[in-house]
Amino acid sequence: MKNIYKPQEAIVEDIIVESSTIKTFVLRLKEPFEFRTGQFVELTLPGIGEAPFTPSSDPNIKNKIEVTIMNVGRVTSLLHTSPKNISLGLRGPYGKGYPLDRFEGKDILIVGGGVGLAPLRSLLFSMFAEIDKYNKVVLRYGARTPDDIIYKESIPGWAKIKKVDVVTTVDVGDAKWKGNVGLVTTILKDLPVDLKNAVSIVCGPPIMMKFATLKLLDFGFKPQDIFLSMEKNMSCGLGKCGHCRMGRYYVCKDGPVFTYEQLKELHDIWD
Amino acid sequence: MHQIYYIESNQLNILSRKLKKDYRVFFPVTEEKNATKKTDYSYRELTVNEPFVFNPYRTVEPLKTFFTPPLDKAAEYFNQEGSIEDFPKIIIFGVKSCDIVGHKVQDFVFLEGVEVDSLYRLRRENIIFISSDCTDFKEVCHCLAWEILPYPTEGFDLNLSPLNEGYLVETGSKKGEELIQQYKEFFVIAKDTQLTARKVKRENLIERLKKHLLPQHLVSKDIVQRLIKEGYNLDTWQQFMLTCVECGGCNFICDTCHCFLLMDKKEGNINKKLKAWDACLYTNYAKVAGGANPLKTRTRRLRFRFTKKFDFFVDNLGMPACCGCGRCIEVCPGKIDIREVLKDLAKKLSVKT
Repeated sequence: MKNIYKPQEAIVEDIIVESSTIKTFVLRLKEPFEFRTGQFVELTLPGIGEAPFTPSSDPNIKNKIEVTIMNVGRVTSLLHTSPKNISLGLRGPYGKGYPLDRFEGKDILIVGGGVGLAPLRSLLFSMFAEIDKYNKVVLRYGARTPDDIIYKESIPGWAKIKKVDVVTTVDVGDAKWKGNVGLVTTILKDLPVDLKNAVSIVCGPPIMMKFATLKLLDFGFKPQDIFLSMEKNMSCGLGKCGHCRMGRYYVCKDGPVFTYEQLKELHDIWD
Repeated sequence: MHQIYYIESNQLNILSRKLKKDYRVFFPVTEEKNATKKTDYSYRELTVNEPFVFNPYRTVEPLKTFFTPPLDKAAEYFNQEGSIEDFPKIIIFGVKSCDIVGHKVQDFVFLEGVEVDSLYRLRRENIIFISSDCTDFKEVCHCLAWEILPYPTEGFDLNLSPLNEGYLVETGSKKGEELIQQYKEFFVIAKDTQLTARKVKRENLIERLKKHLLPQHLVSKDIVQRLIKEGYNLDTWQQFMLTCVECGGCNFICDTCHCFLLMDKKEGNINKKLKAWDACLYTNYAKVAGGANPLKTRTRRLRFRFTKKFDFFVDNLGMPACCGCGRCIEVCPGKIDIREVLKDLAKKLSVKT
């Protein structure tokens, strides 16, 4: 019988520096592995510790995944100083992911903040692969500074894909930055989406998610058409360890993607 | 259909020793020599010729310790499959009705949901519950308030009801019936008069327990979720939090609390995942990397414990995750009484209990 706590082995094939605090780890898996975009995995630094991450790569690519990780805690700081070719443990995928079937034929507004673009990149790749299924894909992305923008090289290319519209902003610019300056909510105006047939997807730090959601509600999105990726302390990933409970849900098994409709009656969701 | 047998006390003594050949046998013991004194019981493995002890009420420790020890090996990884752990067959005597109800929550968490916890399941399959009727209660006992009777009606393999110089033995499962068949020379079919006597004894205890509980005006099963929902922003949480020292005792002693943390450890060349009990009253319980902590105050953590028990589990399992055993009341150094917290909500919301 399967041991749900036992990770499989994944080799760190490459490490890509995205910003001064963010790196993308390319993992080659020893056993077959598939995930749906928006699902998450638990990565183990052997003998040290485990933490949850949402893959940032295209789910259509089998046996290799990319995970974009910010250096923020005990496990991630050690991961950031790890060399290539080490073995990591991997459990999952967990959770429900993005309900792509509900997005088909619609205007898709994707709002990302900082490293929150990582799970969204996986979603974007899924959509780019079948772009005819969607009416349009509108990305609005904000980072703290130009250095904090991840996937810097890729974003201009995304903007050139048909039916894709991209606007970025930074909270604070620098001498070289010629783009928008202001919080991501400042670029959530004159949105080229038809509210009658649109959904929005938000991922980023809690404070950004809160104000982006309020802005989207204000703009006219219905709570059931706003999809949020929640971040909680997921330890087991299977709704057993208790840590990620939010009201009647476990973020790990009932989420991590929720509609605002599901969450709006719950207390303290942005904390 | 449950079958009911009778066994004499001295025969049960002999039988419990015989069972030791095939099982590790645990039963509640007490250090108190004076039989008339109220005392605490805790599980111990039966050694040589100890006589069988009947505990009139539940043990100090929760039943979950047999299924999820405080620190458990969850997995080894990146090495050849280690030795397959041997699961001893265990018989536990002295389990009470509250423990069995509480254990439904553990079963729900570890046996159902997205995936099964295989370690838990293997232990579960190898454990036999020989429960027994309560013949007395502790001050903190309040099973009846949750509509739980002080004797088990389901969820046991065998149940003992003390009667005269022996016990009525009710079968509650196939495992229990098989055990009886294996040792059938020890048992006789119970007589109708014995069944009537059991009924009278049970009813008498319920009457005594009611007399103890009615004046307390405890919150009932059908209003508790409403109180928790409507009382979310009351000052009850802040008020009761004042004496909480964040020891986690209420979590660890609770038969329904199931939270654990996965930890990694290296022993020699072997990587291990350990499962350690965790407590939602601990500061870092919900903290994420980067520092955000949705349960940063004790007030929130205390409330979290209650919303889990009386809101989350009512929604997800259809029952509150409290069996009225009162262990958390006894263990709390801050004298936080689960009964009083719920009553305070009712009082402040002007809901009659």
